[in-house]
Amino acid sequence: MKVAVFWGCRILTEHYGYEMSVREVMPRLGVELVDLESASCCGDPIKSVSDPAVTYLSARILAVAAKTGLNDLLVPCNRCHLTLSEAKYRLEKDPETLDKVKTLLKEEGLKYRTELRIWHTIDLLYDIVKPETIKEKLKTPLSDLNLATHPGCQILRPSEIGRVDDAEAPKKLDELVQILGAKTIDYSEKLDCCGAALLSTHQDAALSLAGTKIKTLQSYSVGGLVVSCPECHLMYDVKQEAASTTVGGKLKLPVFYYTQLLGIALGVEKRKLGLHLNQSPVEELLKKHNLI
Amino acid sequence: MSLKDLMTMAKPAIELRLKALSKVWKAKPIDCFQCMRCTSGCTSLKLLELKPHEIVDLVKFGFVDELLSSDIIWTCATCLKCKERCPQKASPYDLIMALRNVAVEREAKTPEFYMSAVSQILETGLLQSVQKVTTHEMKTLDRDNLGLPKIAYPDGKFKEAFMKALGGA
Repeated sequence: MKVAVFWGCRILTEHYGYEMSVREVMPRLGVELVDLESASCCGDPIKSVSDPAVTYLSARILAVAAKTGLNDLLVPCNRCHLTLSEAKYRLEKDPETLDKVKTLLKEEGLKYRTELRIWHTIDLLYDIVKPETIKEKLKTPLSDLNLATHPGCQILRPSEIGRVDDAEAPKKLDELVQILGAKTIDYSEKLDCCGAALLSTHQDAALSLAGTKIKTLQSYSVGGLVVSCPECHLMYDVKQEAASTTVGGKLKLPVFYYTQLLGIALGVEKRKLGLHLNQSPVEELLKKHNLI
Repeated sequence: MSLKDLMTMAKPAIELRLKALSKVWKAKPIDCFQCMRCTSGCTSLKLLELKPHEIVDLVKFGFVDELLSSDIIWTCATCLKCKERCPQKASPYDLIMALRNVAVEREAKTPEFYMSAVSQILETGLLQSVQKVTTHEMKTLDRDNLGLPKIAYPDGKFKEAFMKALGGA
């Protein structure tokens, strides 16, 4: 299957481990990725500034994706996935906004097409590729690993517009981790937000949210945390050290993108998965279990 | 004593109230019956004292000026739990975003991050410039070193259309 892929700003400019691992694992599972001819912001950070500008930015991505002629668009970032899904939902139901957007898109000779399906890494792997296919291709099962998952907020809510998994009891990411041979824990803080949206304006609160969750997970003795969003990764991996100063205590929890773990299980070389870019001690954990 | 009595110095601003409510698409803040389910699950309640049900109530009473000049509307973590769980589809989240939009329009207190995001997107199409990352072995790497393809930035026509969209076209 061929899918268009929209990475969003965060992945393209900073969170290379996610992009590298998605580019490695998808073709091995029969998914060919087609990059868009031009990438701009999905509009998420502008939601606080101007609602019409957000709808335009999202519609632009959907229109550029439509130019590939493909019916499916992969959006690996949770926030971009929400923003594009919101725009698609709105443009289906709000003809006035659709007219305005169409006029703006004409400036670039772009056309909005409604039938595009929007996927996130998690539901593309779970609903289209299917866990059974992943299981068949496993080379290095991740037995002995005991992990926690953090699906993130924006791929779960609001369910009204159609999201990747259940809003209150998500299971797809857990099952995808389990299919690799690892165990996952059920914990009551699973839906707690990483705080990324507050990082630029209320840094202490953001770091406290992230640090508290990591601290709790360490008290549950899990080996690592699995995320599927560059913003959650930013908070739990890149900012983990800063968060440990905010909440007190030593934080040392390995944080992986799901696709990095999937890559290891599929036998991809660790450098190609960008594991050396993670700031948390991921390689230590993998070495301990003879996985790299 | 009602909330209005507590704010004796404040006068309801009916026009601003309508303006904020008109910016909310589909959700119905006016239908809020103050069950506080939003506040009980709010990510920003404990650390930043955000109480979404109060925001909705203040708008309903017309105390919009007070909200626009306060930092409280900028404390939302956008976790969307209030929107998901609201039994009345009032969506405090959507109202908070609408209030932020009104604050920007009226040039009220707006955190710098959001305005610089706009200029950055106008300039390159993306939220930030390409960052270099440092590994544990203190190696500094970028997209080229990592074997990632070049970014395809949008051209000038994008900027024009985005400007128009920002202007409310």
